[in-house]
Amino acid sequence: MRRLWRQDLAWAGLILGLAALFGLVQQWPLVRQSWRGELAALLSQARDQRRQEQFQGVKTVNLAQAYALFQQGRALFIDARPADEYVELHVPKALNITPEMLAAGQDEAVAGLAKDREIVVYCGQVSCDLALQVAEKLQVRGFTRVMAYMGGFRAWDEAGYPADTSK
Amino acid sequence: MKFDWLVRRLLGVALGGLFFYAGLLKCLHPYEFAEAVLAYRMLPESLVGVAAAVLPWVEMAAGLALAIGLKRRSALLLLTTLLGGFLAVILITMGRGLKIDCGCGLFFQRQVGPVAVLEDAVFLLWAAGLYGWELLGSKRGRQVQVIEASP
Repeated sequence: MRRLWRQDLAWAGLILGLAALFGLVQQWPLVRQSWRGELAALLSQARDQRRQEQFQGVKTVNLAQAYALFQQGRALFIDARPADEYVELHVPKALNITPEMLAAGQDEAVAGLAKDREIVVYCGQVSCDLALQVAEKLQVRGFTRVMAYMGGFRAWDEAGYPADTSK
Repeated sequence: MKFDWLVRRLLGVALGGLFFYAGLLKCLHPYEFAEAVLAYRMLPESLVGVAAAVLPWVEMAAGLALAIGLKRRSALLLLTTLLGGFLAVILITMGRGLKIDCGCGLFFQRQVGPVAVLEDAVFLLWAAGLYGWELLGSKRGRQVQVIEASP
């Protein structure tokens, strides 16, 4: 039994070594740039490129622009994160509307909202796509002034901007 | 005996196929997987690229070996170790209160949380159980060979 186990371990090591070698060769640019400390910039570039292709036509705003819109008080903020994160903390008076709530044929979440209302959609952090997904779905439903705030709630909170737990 | 072998093979093909598919998805989208690995904040940035490059290939290699029946026990040993590691990472991340995408691959996106833990635990039991079963099967097979070979 022990001999069998040792044999298994040796073959597992060989499979692991070969897989690691193939992986390192195939993804060498990613490995090299990560090693040089350029991963964040590389990921940001890859993310932007993917988003440009995937979410064409969705207008985006940065943290300063989103906060200016919040201060003016006209824009409706929509929190695209799952309900448990929204309940914990969110932008004051924001509605919680996730992409699932806007699935095909479901309009209850946005019923009664004026189509020309200024809307800012946000999600958790800069890497999440939920804000873009909700903004795109709102545009498809005819909302004309939708923007996705790309910094995410984390940046908003870290900047010390208002946040609360009430609905 | 034959039925026992057939069930083991079917379970192996299913588990191997799932891992091969999960690894392939990650391999096709390396930057998205690197972003998921980075979000766990467990590795220094310099090693995230290595993890994002190697892990999908390990999943694919072990999954393929298991599915086609090549060194099945070794593939299962590798998958069991991998799943044990994933489970530990998910539990630590939950303990740290991070709400991030689990980057697990397969059919839908899910966050680090109880569902990911349950899914990982099921796969871990599947792989470890099958390894034990394969080991017993091999031992029994060898004993039969020895008895048949003896005069």
